[in-house]
Amino acid sequence: MASDERIRDIGLIRRSISRPELGSVFGLIIIVITFMTLTSISGTFGAMWLNPIGIQAWVELAAFVGILAIGASLLMIAGEFDLSMGANIALAGHSFAIFLLFGVPIELAIILTFIELAFLGFIIGVIVVRTGLPSFIVTLAFWFASRGFAVFLSQTFFNQSRLSVKANLKPPPGGGEDPTLIDNIFAFDKAFGVPFDAEVYYFIILVFIVAFITNRTPYGNWIYASGGDPVAARAVGVPVARVKISLFMISTSLACLLGILTVMTSGASDPKAGDFRELHAIAAAVIGGCALTGGYGSVVGAVLGALIFAIASRGINFVPFIDNNLFRVMLGMLILGSALLNQFLRDRIVKG
Amino acid sequence: MIPSIEFRGVSKFFGNIIALKDISFKVFKGEITALLGDNGAGKSTLIKLLSGVHIPSEGEILLSGEPVNFKSPRQAVSAGIGTVYQDLALQPLMSVTRNFFLGREITKGLFLNMPLMNTITKKEMAKLGIDVADPTQPIGTMSGGQRQTLAIARAIYFGANVLILDEPTSALGQKQQLEVLRTIKKVKELGDIAIIFITHNDMHAKLLGDRFAFLNRGKVLAEGSREEIDMNNLRPLMAGGAELEKLETEFSGR
Repeated sequence: MASDERIRDIGLIRRSISRPELGSVFGLIIIVITFMTLTSISGTFGAMWLNPIGIQAWVELAAFVGILAIGASLLMIAGEFDLSMGANIALAGHSFAIFLLFGVPIELAIILTFIELAFLGFIIGVIVVRTGLPSFIVTLAFWFASRGFAVFLSQTFFNQSRLSVKANLKPPPGGGEDPTLIDNIFAFDKAFGVPFDAEVYYFIILVFIVAFITNRTPYGNWIYASGGDPVAARAVGVPVARVKISLFMISTSLACLLGILTVMTSGASDPKAGDFRELHAIAAAVIGGCALTGGYGSVVGAVLGALIFAIASRGINFVPFIDNNLFRVMLGMLILGSALLNQFLRDRIVKG
Repeated sequence: MIPSIEFRGVSKFFGNIIALKDISFKVFKGEITALLGDNGAGKSTLIKLLSGVHIPSEGEILLSGEPVNFKSPRQAVSAGIGTVYQDLALQPLMSVTRNFFLGREITKGLFLNMPLMNTITKKEMAKLGIDVADPTQPIGTMSGGQRQTLAIARAIYFGANVLILDEPTSALGQKQQLEVLRTIKKVKELGDIAIIFITHNDMHAKLLGDRFAFLNRGKVLAEGSREEIDMNNLRPLMAGGAELEKLETEFSGR
């Protein structure tokens, strides 16, 4: 191959320019340097970057947003959108809690909740694919409906909107009582002496699996093609409709995972759980290089986007001399800047 | 010799619209059949009949002498009819190899066998005279002519023995048009593929065509081999003869 005189030596720099993650790598470096500097100035460097509790604060947020961002980025690569992710976290949490309060064993409650949410994703996907309505509109409807339905159920059966299931969950081993196996396997409970919430470990495992699937399997190829040019994809035999429906099911299942984990770690299901998280996940995906028009982006980029979001979001608490509200301004500019940078990089690819 | 494809009195109606009326022509393997006609002559309806998108209202289509009745594009593809549409059905942001194998990926277990697919892509493109330096590069870096070649190479690799080229030169610059013509000639030289070359460029048809068919307002005006057709009369036939003469008198009177 190296003997081919037509291969220009484009080198590592030019080659990596065509990677969708590039923008978010820069972004991450900038944000880390910025907050390291700011925390040094305010004397909180150790609290944020060295203290386990400080690290936990942003790592766990990154994992939470990152798990959703995996779904958000897959959908965006396929040219679709899911605004209902945050609301589905509440729906999953409430469903899980209601199952428990009705006396369903915890293992079965987990399975039933996953089936319910996957089915919801299936319905959303079928509506989008069959009607041709923009997924923005369809999932906006479920942004209202999912949370509304969750609260309606809990009001109807238990006459309250926040459901406590402490009594139904086994306490962690530190508490001395006999923990069920599933408790520990599924939610970790920080019981194994692990330093982070379970989300972090699920997040890391999921990132590896999904990055592999998108880059190294036919299904991954089809996700990109479904978003890049669905008509062309269909013409060469890619099952575009099935790909999209499956992605909506993945998106709702990821929300389900977070919903259940939140209930397990807090002992209650809150109707406000996951509020606005869909926008944070989409922000992470955009920062990570996903194009709203589909066909371009990467899950790894979205993960870096989630890290950027979390560091900026939590870091601002360690920098008292900057107003909290300025964080939102900064985040907004970050999204805008990333989108511009990514568009520039995308154009470079097409122009060679 | 049995024609690879034969149209026998094929008509296609859409409600009260007659898109094609009593179409007959033959296509042989190892030959290029130039299908000429102006916009609205019925060329795209004809392609869609061949590629299984539409079903004829009357008449029959014979594939190697056997009447066929495609009910879906998939059936046409598996019967060996490869269509390269004007838009090429390519993904600009995906790599050359991934485009080549999209929808029909080669896997090793669950995963893509990228090295094998890269090698095949390079080899198949080389057969048509394009040296792909790096098949892992996004297709956006290729020229229009090279993309056309990729779409053709893909159709052939996946078993097309009848290749339908829908105006392959119309959207390209001069230099790239020549590149594509050269590719089409290479396909012909492979010997076992029947090529239907749809165009409204009489120069290109003249350069490449072994047989010709002229469509005008849903009908075949003339059909035959190079010897049977008045080669100097291509342009008037295409534009519907009389109309062009009328225009010439109109213009000369200016």
